[in-house]
Amino acid sequence: MSRQKFYVAGYFIHFFLIATVATREFFWVLSQSRTIFSSSLNQTWRKAEEASSVALLQDPHTPSGLRQATATYLHLAGIESGYGFFAPNITGQCKLVFELHYPDGRTESAVPAVSSDASGLRVATLLDKIGWSKYDALREPIIKMFTQAAWREHRDATMIRAVLGMVVLPTIDEYENGIGSSNEFLYSYEYKFEPAAPKP
Amino acid sequence: MSRAQFARRRLLEFLFPQESDTWLSILRVGVAAQLLVFCFSIRSDWRYLLAASGGLSSRGLAEKILSLESVFVPRLGWFVNLGTQAGLNEQRVLAIVWFALTIAAFLLLIGLFCRTAAITAWLLHLATIKSGDFVAYGVDNFVTIALFYLMLAPLPDRYSVDARWRKFPAQDRHLLGFWRRVLQTHLCLIYFFGGIAKDVGVGWWNGEAVWRALIRPPFNLIPPQTLLHWKILFPAVGVATVILETAYPFLIWQKSTARTWLIGVLTMHIAIGAAMGMYLFALIMIVLNLAAFGPGVLWRQSKVTSNCRSYANTAAP
Repeated sequence: MSRQKFYVAGYFIHFFLIATVATREFFWVLSQSRTIFSSSLNQTWRKAEEASSVALLQDPHTPSGLRQATATYLHLAGIESGYGFFAPNITGQCKLVFELHYPDGRTESAVPAVSSDASGLRVATLLDKIGWSKYDALREPIIKMFTQAAWREHRDATMIRAVLGMVVLPTIDEYENGIGSSNEFLYSYEYKFEPAAPKP
Repeated sequence: MSRAQFARRRLLEFLFPQESDTWLSILRVGVAAQLLVFCFSIRSDWRYLLAASGGLSSRGLAEKILSLESVFVPRLGWFVNLGTQAGLNEQRVLAIVWFALTIAAFLLLIGLFCRTAAITAWLLHLATIKSGDFVAYGVDNFVTIALFYLMLAPLPDRYSVDARWRKFPAQDRHLLGFWRRVLQTHLCLIYFFGGIAKDVGVGWWNGEAVWRALIRPPFNLIPPQTLLHWKILFPAVGVATVILETAYPFLIWQKSTARTWLIGVLTMHIAIGAAMGMYLFALIMIVLNLAAFGPGVLWRQSKVTSNCRSYANTAAP
């Protein structure tokens, strides 16, 4: 195979993968979200999404080696996810609040703290991921990580309740009529901690 | 000439046009600047976001989930394990990774040891975002894409220190053209799929999505009261965004519309950066667009230097 043919083949394989990943995500969006299409089509979109996964060699029936090789390439090239940012609709933002309980009965509130706006955007992204995730098995350990990080900043607390909620955004009309953002409860988790030993 | 031969020739002409390396210089400098901003913007939270112990402690879980997909994708755990064998703790290894990534970005910026710097930057950045997958978002993927193409493209470009000081020979102009086509095609797919995903949402057609995007924390830099003064423009902005993105792959190639479309898309990204505080996202998209379509569309393409090599003579007309 000449060098030129190698480049041409690589071009087509690479863009087949990009287009298929993006198509798969598009079908996923259609099957999950409120769109201009009827919800009766959701099953069709789900099937189309599965077909895209088969084309990407990412379905469970594909031999493990082939599946891993494709997944590795997708990650190395940064093409493992699609491009439907802020689409089809813009959801509310998830928010995590800690309720810190101290042995003397005091309670305080806190939120995950980072030093910069850039890091804050990353933490907000994570909260959205876990807030919208259907998998409690993923959500719970991450909330626990956040809570442990918060406890390291407040080691006197003996119980922390982590409350995950969603900021419901008003429409333009609602805002003009004096209705602002509101908070909707999603999940709550409680963690108990041993009181920190007094400093010598 | 048969139809098949004609199609083959047209394909090769499309994929291997003769190009100067201006686009590659833009990509190298732009991505390096992006990486430097990335490194310094999360420097103080580097350990909080990426450590397996202390901080958010999400690295372990992120790497376990990554292993379910593939065990061959670079991750910080590899470096931490290597460091442990050398007697370094996790904290020290993470600091070294940050420092090495910053140095690689700086070398890339000035164009010294371009290829090595590009590969190092790609590897360390990829490992960082894969281990920090929970706190990663779209911009990280775009940087990976840019670094992936940069390390494969024919470096060094003529504005790099390598070319000027270390006297590297000029690059193959057809290969430069090929990698520019790759970047151009990728951008077309990005905008097309981004556009059609917005097309199917009602909010982008009536302006509600624009309002929600601007009041949604943490992007709510402009007070809602101020936004209300401009509410009449929201439907137009929403529709313009959808059209700009969906039609990008069709109109960016036409001589008559390319300039307008590129300026429109650049304006959109500048507005996103300024109004929503998504500076990193705006920067990488501007860099990718300028590298892919800037030379020849926004300004006249510099002439291909006569000492450029060419192997792809079959692509030439």
